[in-house]
Amino acid sequence: MTPLYQWAASLAERGMLPSDFQYPFLIRGFLCVLVLAPILGGLSHLVVTRRMAFFSAALGQAALTGVAIGLLLGEPLNAPYGGMFGFCLLTTLAMVYVKRHATLPPDTLIGVFHALTLGLGLCLLVALTRQFNVHQVESVLFGSLLTVTDADLLLLLAVGVLVAVLLVREYNKLLLDSLSPPLSSVSGADSAFLEYFFAVLLTLSIVVSLKVIGALLVEALVVVPAAAARNIAGSARSYLVWSVVIAFLAGAGGLGVSTKLLVPTGGAVVLAVSAIFFVTLAAGALLKRRSRVSR
Amino acid sequence: MVPSGVTPPLIEFIDVSIARQREHLLSRVSLTVAQGAVHVIVGPNGAGKTTLLTAALGLIPFEGRILAHWRGDGRIGYVPQAFAVDPSLPVTVEDFLALTRQRRPVCFGVSRAARARIASLLRDVGLDGLEHRPLSVLSGGELRRVLLANALDPLPELLVLDEPASGLDEGGVGQLEDLVRTLKGSGCTVLMVSHDLEQVRRLADRVTVLDRVVVTEGPAAETLARHDVAALLPSGRRQ
Repeated sequence: MTPLYQWAASLAERGMLPSDFQYPFLIRGFLCVLVLAPILGGLSHLVVTRRMAFFSAALGQAALTGVAIGLLLGEPLNAPYGGMFGFCLLTTLAMVYVKRHATLPPDTLIGVFHALTLGLGLCLLVALTRQFNVHQVESVLFGSLLTVTDADLLLLLAVGVLVAVLLVREYNKLLLDSLSPPLSSVSGADSAFLEYFFAVLLTLSIVVSLKVIGALLVEALVVVPAAAARNIAGSARSYLVWSVVIAFLAGAGGLGVSTKLLVPTGGAVVLAVSAIFFVTLAAGALLKRRSRVSR
Repeated sequence: MVPSGVTPPLIEFIDVSIARQREHLLSRVSLTVAQGAVHVIVGPNGAGKTTLLTAALGLIPFEGRILAHWRGDGRIGYVPQAFAVDPSLPVTVEDFLALTRQRRPVCFGVSRAARARIASLLRDVGLDGLEHRPLSVLSGGELRRVLLANALDPLPELLVLDEPASGLDEGGVGQLEDLVRTLKGSGCTVLMVSHDLEQVRRLADRVTVLDRVVVTEGPAAETLARHDVAALLPSGRRQ
């Protein structure tokens, strides 16, 4: 990756890129945003359509517990992926299984898992303070570009490609299943498979995003881009395009703000995406009023 | 009219029972849907009509057996009774119909071939020009026509219609009945739930009166004449 950083730095020196691009960590962050925007933006419009916003929040909390488990089991502080992947995957499969087999409303069941994983995570974090300064895991909670390594970026890229390929393959079935599970089943799709499949894709994407966005804030980037896109989109195509564009603008904007103001990247990204949501809300209302007047 | 016992069966329900939270929704229901027939199920609210259809579609667990004797590809077209659309969902009629008509993800656009097929389907159900209308702004009747268009292509071997006329205006009902007759002429079997007894008289070959058990079953005119079916139906629907 060093030649890429040197090339970007030389462009920054010649004024062809913003001066901040002379720092490798910032180039890495920008590349992360480039990969994250299509993954999380693309997933977000299905997350909102399938009503899995709360599910995503619970997964973020589970990742926090996963970090604690990974560190307690001896994983390195800057890459506790085994604990995160393992615990998040276990939580995801358990949540989907219980949701499919219990008669309670899904949000109630997810609420139970949300509380359970958070409680467990807090207890484990207290245990962790005997080994680490708790501020060392802050980057996982709130996201930090300084701790993102080349290996993290490559993992993000590999998972991003995998998720994109699988999502494109099953997209139509997933959307039909979100609109009407009975119609989807009658057309030959396996509703149970689709539910587990999408939940696992979401888990993978959330886990690899954590070092940039943070466990407590990742939910925002898998929900708000699609929510904002809904305010202005008029078709499935524009819904996807806007979700990705908004995720990218929020990522790039948040990155810039966090570098300038020295605030956590995750927080800055979430503030940026929330600001975009309110702008699209106003734009959507304006568009609706205009179309009513023209009719 | 398709006489029972002469035409081979397409679907056989044998002692089908369904219970939910210890309450029996259906109890030992046995009936035969003949190939190429229009078979209508009538009964009061809560009689288990929709439950029986969803069991036939394999959407819910049941006791007993449901046998299908497919002659062709076994394709099923289905128009559900309820189809709630999220009011903020930006999915157009064309997007929705393209979901099962192209491999390319609809978020990457609708293919030219699918677009032409969808335009023709919408013409068939009297909705030409509505391709780019979001699903969420359609009226109840328009939405049912879109669901009907979805169920008709490719031509199904079994068409399952759950109160397909609800929400349709007079013209829509006539168009629906013409479509059902055309489909029957093409060899398609229609299994349908209806509350409209006049419509049942016009369309059905056979009628099953259901009230958690099979009350009576037989050729349409005979069954409707022999039993006071109207007494079983909600007062607003008796005709």
